Amino acid sequence: MTAVISVSDLVKTFGRTRALDGLDLQVRAGEVHGFLGPNGSGKSTTIRVLLGLLRPTSGRVRLLGGDPWRDAVALHRRLAYVPGDVTLWPTLSGGEVIDLLSRLRGGIDRRRREQLLERFELDPRKKARTYSKGNRQKVALVAALASDVELLVLDEPTSGLDPLMEAIFQSCIREARAEGRTVLLSSHLLAEAEALCDRVSIIRLGRTVQSGTLAELRSLTRTSVTAETERAVTGLTGLPGVHGLQVADRRVRFDVDRDQLDGAVRRLVEAGLRSLVSAPPTLEELFLRQYGDVPTEAVPAGRWSS
Amino acid sequence: MVVVSTPTLTGTLALLGFAVRRDRLRLPVWLLAGGALVAVQSTSNQTIYRTPEALAAYQASAGSNAASIAFSGPPVGLDTVAGTVAFEISTPLVVLTVLMAMFTTARHTRADEESGRTELVRSAQVGRHAPVTAATLLSVLACTGMGASVAAGAALTGLPEQGSVLLGTATAGVGWVFTGVTAVCAQLTAGTRGVHGLVGGALGLSLVVRAIGDITHDGLSWASPVGWAQATHPWSADRWWPLLLPVVGTPVLMLAARHLLDRRDLGSGLLQPRPGAATAPRSLSSPLGLAWRLHRGALLAWAAGIVLLGLVYGGLAESVETLIGDNPDAQVFFPAGSTAGLVNAYLGVTLQVTALMVAGYTVSATIGARTEEAAGRAEPVLAAGVGRLRWLGSHLTVALVGATALLALDGLATGVSRAVVTGDATDLLRLTGAALGYAPAVWVVAGLAGALLGAVPAAAVPAAWIVVGGVAGITLFAESFDWPGWVTVLSPVARTPAVPAEKWAALPLLTLSALAVALLAAGLGSFRRRDLVPG
Repeated sequence: MTAVISVSDLVKTFGRTRALDGLDLQVRAGEVHGFLGPNGSGKSTTIRVLLGLLRPTSGRVRLLGGDPWRDAVALHRRLAYVPGDVTLWPTLSGGEVIDLLSRLRGGIDRRRREQLLERFELDPRKKARTYSKGNRQKVALVAALASDVELLVLDEPTSGLDPLMEAIFQSCIREARAEGRTVLLSSHLLAEAEALCDRVSIIRLGRTVQSGTLAELRSLTRTSVTAETERAVTGLTGLPGVHGLQVADRRVRFDVDRDQLDGAVRRLVEAGLRSLVSAPPTLEELFLRQYGDVPTEAVPAGRWSS
Repeated sequence: MVVVSTPTLTGTLALLGFAVRRDRLRLPVWLLAGGALVAVQSTSNQTIYRTPEALAAYQASAGSNAASIAFSGPPVGLDTVAGTVAFEISTPLVVLTVLMAMFTTARHTRADEESGRTELVRSAQVGRHAPVTAATLLSVLACTGMGASVAAGAALTGLPEQGSVLLGTATAGVGWVFTGVTAVCAQLTAGTRGVHGLVGGALGLSLVVRAIGDITHDGLSWASPVGWAQATHPWSADRWWPLLLPVVGTPVLMLAARHLLDRRDLGSGLLQPRPGAATAPRSLSSPLGLAWRLHRGALLAWAAGIVLLGLVYGGLAESVETLIGDNPDAQVFFPAGSTAGLVNAYLGVTLQVTALMVAGYTVSATIGARTEEAAGRAEPVLAAGVGRLRWLGSHLTVALVGATALLALDGLATGVSRAVVTGDATDLLRLTGAALGYAPAVWVVAGLAGALLGAVPAAAVPAAWIVVGGVAGITLFAESFDWPGWVTVLSPVARTPAVPAEKWAALPLLTLSALAVALLAAGLGSFRRRDLVPG
């Protein structure tokens, strides 16, 4: 399998700040790769290095077989980019921005452009000044998706999109994959990554802390369970894999390792289950659990109060 | 004054306090600049015109020179040193104060509205008219402070007190009026840049109307707020009554702004923007096409202003001769037969001053590239198959070609209006050539801005404007303040032969061209090697 993006031991410093601290990233041809991490973890800095907008301090970076700094212009004809915070020229209309960016990349599929405008319900005649955040995001998305390129680099592309538009975005990404394109999707939303990505890389403080398929990742995570029962629950205390158990009257709340979920829920059923909410942990919780500078047990308490 | 208990004004005082806090550093800088300007002018004039002979010579030359009347004001009170200070400093003071009023008022009205901050503020217990009222009150207070600073600068350097206070108050009065003008313009367009454009246009018109009025003596100056201030004649007639005009005019403009505010929605302007095109025109397919599209509005506005200025300056050249003919004192200093030389001297000055303005344009266009970078709008273009050199080169091309075109237009307009007045078109080519002679100098200024943009992106914008201010200061003041020769070398505009007042010389033009090329190459080179720096 050929690597479309290959980054190893990438370091980028801004003065005394070390934004990237030995980051690794491998994206294979034809996959949708989730690039996950909390705010400020270095996702956008990595993407800017990949686009040749920032020069790496050290490390090895290859993109589409070339050097992103030296071969920037040639490589950019083969990729399309959606920035995380889309700022547009206030006096240009959305349609003009879409045409301009696609022409700079070397052309646009007019039929696809019209289809995308329709699907995203975007009025191309409005001046960029008057677009809301979500609509600015749509302009950048249409410009990227309508271009005939091998690689899509998307930096938190759905911030500001409503759930309907999020669904349309997801189907567009699936179509792109079906056409054989490669997608690097930066996000801090695990649900979005879960819905779309073949493989993910998780970074924290400028370093890759985990990389693999979602199934591999999931097996390492815990599920949060909140339940109400008819009788007091017994037997959860001391059950292997159950963490942060809190009992208040007939309501219980705990985190449980994936492979112990069955046993824990069995105890709830025995106590007469009335309601059950189970949720995968957020990305933040995953970080805190795996690499925690905060003790794991402190996290559920915070969530319980809400 | 303002009744703050009206529901639509709820929160005005709180907003005013907040605005004072936001501007607590920038407003004192404006005020200090105003005071310093007067103090420097006052001390230097007291040195230069120490003897009655020097004063008489100045009165004879400046008082009868259409150029100095066009740039400064009505030639009154030039028989005293204080009068020369008022004559020379009132226009710079007015421009400074109007710019302060414009930036302050627009910043707290339209800019806040455009960024969405007004929406947040208005969602609290804040009346509809409170933001604009607080902004105008802040600006009126700042202008009044400017007046006090001007009065102090004059009085502390030994000028008579009553005239000092009058000059300060008159300066403040123009600022009040333009506070109102800005408040009205902020209701018209939805963009802050548009507001600045409208107010800048109003200021330019006021200056031109006053210049024509003072030269033709037909009362036209009373149509200009700048003329009202200068009609007070500080340190000579010491007239207070012309200040009734700003005192009445300012509240009228403020009430007009409120009425306009009531007729529009938050975030929109009264002038509705037309919908844009659904697809991009063919011209918008390259970085150069984009740069042209972004710069063309400003360039066309500059072109209109420069053409107007050239027409006015060119048309006034003949009155230099008439004024000399009418003035026996002046004839003593300019022997008969040398009026042609005097007209050339006048044209040399006007072309040089316009070249300084064009230098201002070229810097604003060059640092437009930095503004694009800081706002994050360079990123999508550079990520779409456009190289660094091509991207920055496009903005520089517009800045350099645009500035050169402005110089040519200046020469043409000056020549055309001179041809209309004299019926002789031979000056047309000569003046166009003279204006274009400043092109290498203007390119050097653009090159400096480009080099700064490449080397120190975060500081490039203020540094580039300091360069323009320095070049203008050296060019305009080095001679009259008797600065050493090496200072003059630092201004490329001063290095350029002031044709037709001086003779052509090829060497400085070639040196400046080579310097410009080197600076531009340095700017492009360092921009290619550095990281993109968001603002």
